[in-house]
Amino acid sequence: MRTAPALLDLQRCFLDALYDAEETGPTEQLVDVGIEPAARLRIYRHNSELIHLEALRTTFPAVAALVGEAFFEHAAAHYRCMQPSRSGNLQAFGEHFPECLERLPNVQQFPYLGDVARLEWRRQVAVLASETRALTRAEFESRLAALEGAARMALHPSMQRFVSAYPVLALWQYATQPTAERLTLPESGDRVVLWRSEGEVAMAAIDSASFACIDALARGDTLDAAHAAASAQDPSFDLPACITSLVAASLVTEIIPVQPEESSSCACSDI
Amino acid sequence: MSNEEIIAMSASPMPAAAGIGLRAPHVSRVLRERPRVPWFEVHSENLFAAGGSLHGAMERIRADYPLSLHGVGLSLGSADALDSLHLKRLVELVERYQPALVSEHLCWGAVGGRHSNDLLPLPFTEEAVALLASRISQVQDTLGREFLVENISTYLRFQDGDYTEWDFVAEVVRRSGCGLLCDVNNIYVNSVNHGFDPRTYLHSLPRDRVREIHLAGFTRKDEFAVPLLIDTHSRPVDAAVWDLYAEAIAYFGPVPTLIEWDQDIPELEVLLAEAAHAEEVLDAYRACTA
Repeated sequence: MRTAPALLDLQRCFLDALYDAEETGPTEQLVDVGIEPAARLRIYRHNSELIHLEALRTTFPAVAALVGEAFFEHAAAHYRCMQPSRSGNLQAFGEHFPECLERLPNVQQFPYLGDVARLEWRRQVAVLASETRALTRAEFESRLAALEGAARMALHPSMQRFVSAYPVLALWQYATQPTAERLTLPESGDRVVLWRSEGEVAMAAIDSASFACIDALARGDTLDAAHAAASAQDPSFDLPACITSLVAASLVTEIIPVQPEESSSCACSDI
Repeated sequence: MSNEEIIAMSASPMPAAAGIGLRAPHVSRVLRERPRVPWFEVHSENLFAAGGSLHGAMERIRADYPLSLHGVGLSLGSADALDSLHLKRLVELVERYQPALVSEHLCWGAVGGRHSNDLLPLPFTEEAVALLASRISQVQDTLGREFLVENISTYLRFQDGDYTEWDFVAEVVRRSGCGLLCDVNNIYVNSVNHGFDPRTYLHSLPRDRVREIHLAGFTRKDEFAVPLLIDTHSRPVDAAVWDLYAEAIAYFGPVPTLIEWDQDIPELEVLLAEAAHAEEVLDAYRACTA
């Protein structure tokens, strides 16, 4: 006499079949009328594969354009098996896609692909980051004037930084907005900052000194330390101009005074 | 919370009129033109992120329109555990937007931490009824308000059920004291896929618990020896579903009705025309009963 499995066992068996075409799934527990049970299960596997493919296509449009539809489907299917979805919210699906993509045999002749994917994941992080009100120019100047010691700056949560040995920004723009002209890539890599601006993700490739400054600020360093990091890249680095750009782009959300025991130097005299 | 308390809280500010599912391609136009739509429904998970432009848009839309939050990822029927983080996000969302209705599907989608991100069928067993009733009660207690559950479309059936599908749905609603989101298209799809009379299903549902109706379009798969309909939300509502909807309104009375369209999303006018069709059905019922 056949006994129906407990719900948990049934669901484990069902989900195994959705993630692995070699798994037969709970076909013996299914009504066998009109369409064979294995074919009915394949409908669900196909649906789930399509859902995950579309989620990746939404998050990684440049990668999809660069590799073509057939290869992207292959990469998505591989990723889905290697890194099953771990959330009922599909916005979280795809974090490890860049590393998975790089490990595919045919991708190694296109070494920039992983970094294009990493840039796209940072775009996703920027899109979903929490909202925090930025300081106006007047508020910033008022806080600055009231400072009596060293300070840190809180940047907008959507702000992301990314360094690549490849010209990822040009690659991303070419992939998402192709032109008839042949793409001529610069030989150098990119230091990219990304942030959310009026609902869209803005991206800019910036010089090494500005990047060092923003990177230091984002990591919580003082303005002094950020200035020093930037000056190590370029002794003529213009700190006030860099900070003014951040304020103008609504990316500074607070100036945080550093307690005297943390630092005795004032970092803001140059701004 | 007792069932009586939940029912007492269910007086819905949602109008018994035809709203539409608001999807990304239409958000900016809705913000700009403020079309005459009685209410909107959005997928809860699309608003789970802490920030993003969608929140800004939805706050402005919410100021002018009643809103329904419809979940697709809570996986109420997973036998191992309810995702507490997912539920926490839903609670935060409900507190932020104060929607008129909050709903999810009578299904499962994940087990052992792996998600299909699809709406998977449950066996119609006593074990599944007990699990769902317990989970829905947990969600209602956490939200502190009535929660709606929706019947899903399915492409397979399990043997050895203790209930028919319609009795399964009715029993879950009865035990948990939740509201019912009756998807009329899903009833029709399942009636074709599994061979039953959709009117039997419809008339077996607890009509005093029906808070919302969903309508959508399906596609036909022709490669099998028997008919199979897939709930794709990619086409206009089928004529047979409009007929069943008219019968549903005659049985339930006027109920907030939603036009869903999630793939190959057309211009807003197409959705508005579908909603106008639903309004005609609601008006015809009111004219007959006036």
